[in-house]
Amino acid sequence: MATAPLRCAMLALNSPGYRSLALGYLRAYAQADRRLAGRVAFETLDLDTDVDPWWVAWRVLGLEPDVLAVSVTCWNARSVYEVCRIVASVRPECAIVLGGPEVGPIAEDVLSAHPEVGVVVRGEGEITFADLLAELAGSGKAWRVDGITLRHNGEIVGTSDRALVANLDDLPSPYLSGVLTPVDGGAYLETFRGCPHRCAYCFEGKGYGRIRSFSEERIAAEIEFVATAPGVRTFSFIDPVFNLTGERLKTLAGLMAPHVARGVRLHTIEVDIERIDDGAAALLRSAGVVTVETGPQTIGAGALEACHRPFHADRFAAGLAALRRAGISCECDLIVGLPGDDVYDFLAGLRFVLRLDPGKVQSSTLHVLPGTELWERAAELGLEFDHEPSHEVIATPEVSFRDLRRAEVLASSLQAAYRARV
Amino acid sequence: MIRFAEVAVGSGGEVRCSRCHGAQQPVSYRPTAEIAAEIAMACGSWDEPPGPNVALAGTEPFGHPDLPALVGAAIDAHCRRLCLETDAVAMRSSQNAGGSLMAGVHHLRWTILGGTPGVHDVLLGTPGALDLSVEGVRSFRSIAAEESIPVSVTTVVPVCRHNVHDLPAAAGLAVDAGADRVLLRIEDGGLDLTAALPWIVAACDTGVVNGVWVEVEGIPFCLLPGYDLHLSDAVRERAGAKPPICMDCPLDAMCAGALAGASADQLATLSPPSFAERLAVSVLHARETRAE
Repeated sequence: MATAPLRCAMLALNSPGYRSLALGYLRAYAQADRRLAGRVAFETLDLDTDVDPWWVAWRVLGLEPDVLAVSVTCWNARSVYEVCRIVASVRPECAIVLGGPEVGPIAEDVLSAHPEVGVVVRGEGEITFADLLAELAGSGKAWRVDGITLRHNGEIVGTSDRALVANLDDLPSPYLSGVLTPVDGGAYLETFRGCPHRCAYCFEGKGYGRIRSFSEERIAAEIEFVATAPGVRTFSFIDPVFNLTGERLKTLAGLMAPHVARGVRLHTIEVDIERIDDGAAALLRSAGVVTVETGPQTIGAGALEACHRPFHADRFAAGLAALRRAGISCECDLIVGLPGDDVYDFLAGLRFVLRLDPGKVQSSTLHVLPGTELWERAAELGLEFDHEPSHEVIATPEVSFRDLRRAEVLASSLQAAYRARV
Repeated sequence: MIRFAEVAVGSGGEVRCSRCHGAQQPVSYRPTAEIAAEIAMACGSWDEPPGPNVALAGTEPFGHPDLPALVGAAIDAHCRRLCLETDAVAMRSSQNAGGSLMAGVHHLRWTILGGTPGVHDVLLGTPGALDLSVEGVRSFRSIAAEESIPVSVTTVVPVCRHNVHDLPAAAGLAVDAGADRVLLRIEDGGLDLTAALPWIVAACDTGVVNGVWVEVEGIPFCLLPGYDLHLSDAVRERAGAKPPICMDCPLDAMCAGALAGASADQLATLSPPSFAERLAVSVLHARETRAE
């Protein structure tokens, strides 16, 4: 008699309007894994962060899952933990597996603090998750899977780290495999993993250490698929630096060109603005880019040094001017609460970007994220932050709690005034 | 950080304390062509982004017989941010509010004398004025929200000895009406700053805890230790910088940005009496009081 397949519910709580690319990768890889064919049944719940955790749990429990796999970020973690508690109470036999940047780097802590969670996947998750499902659907010996931290014989144990995927093309495309349906404005593509920068506050590179790219053929196929999907007029790339190299930018512009001619556009891609000249801006334009997002995050010498960020005001301004000449709008981001910055450094940063008149200015408060250098060095740097997600900074040696809150309100008022224009 | 060129559409009829200023001067408006030329000049000579930005001020702009033409002149002059300094009463009409928004007026500077009718209406000498004014601001904000137009509302409070105790209520009212920013403009040279300080501080805190920025103009930052971020933009540039008012202070030469080095004896030798001196005495007194 055939056994019933393992029911795997995959959950993400996203910003409204978005679908989780991470879950898409996980499911696409697992579905293509022959070991799991006919043995695991997948259901994805892509919900918004504003859905009440109790109703999220209601949706999850309606699927009667044997495994609940959740992608966790600092933004959704509190809700995710609440969902897990409820699900575990009602369905204790369900194995709860978490992964993502919020939990991977602090897997042991997560398992200690959340008894309802059974396994945390560390790092790149596609192969690890598929291996884990194979064990859960078979022998149940999850402790044999590399790249996880789990409860085993009453203890929390971590298995060996898993090597990074050598060839990213081995990961099936979430779009081309039919796992993810592109939606207008909410579809994101990834052309490489890793980040050339080592900013102390950022987990964008996810500790990958080196940059690995998908092949040009794979990128071309995904662009073709998403750009021609019904109803899709805009989409974006999650790459931390869209203009990683001039050659790459030229390639992407070439791949996008036929779709741009039909009116398809790219929104909010992240760029290294100091490397943009008129030529690069023209390539961005021909790639259909209408808006870019960039730093400087800070212009304070102390914070730049503490965070290992290069910043050259003239090059930054020149890049912005080139974008403006190409008709591309720019969002400049600033962070308040970085170590080494006092509140006047932050205000100087605001003044700097406002004088460049970029189009949009966005400031946010520092989040001391697991896995980042700031997380590791928080005590040494004197950073007081909320150890509960989303790990917002509370005070720094340079800025008091009250001044941080004041700076947030002041910046918000300035942003409103800047945004309100003819 | 976002500067506006002020262009007066006329004079008289400002929202100000009748006890300080006496009876209102009669309202008179400048000719449209003259104002339009000034707008064009302000926009044409704008040299520091973001901008150009123009505020139509001086007296109630909705009383000007040709306000649409003035707004049109600003748009023609490529004005990026256009602000009306108004009591907002005319904005109660959805036609006025909607028309202004559609025409490009996305900044509103709204003046109140207090947060309660008992202060605002009495000091203005117009019963019912505050309620009408609040209604106007709400109408502006509500239509902007319906039309998804980003707007910015600043509440200006001219501060004098007659309304200083109502500043926290004024900040609260501004929050409630949907302001993004409150500007406390200290204009009364005879104001007892030591007595005013707790009210100013309370107004700043009321704003911050409700997510609305409160800025203070016309007071030396040495009066507001711990609150220096709330001082007007020029002062905030860098800790230790001085606002223009400090140049009138007899202690300016010895002051590194605060009154730390001044003694009562030094103050006693100062003459002749001036506003700045009174200010300095107030500062010292306030410091000594706190120290005790």
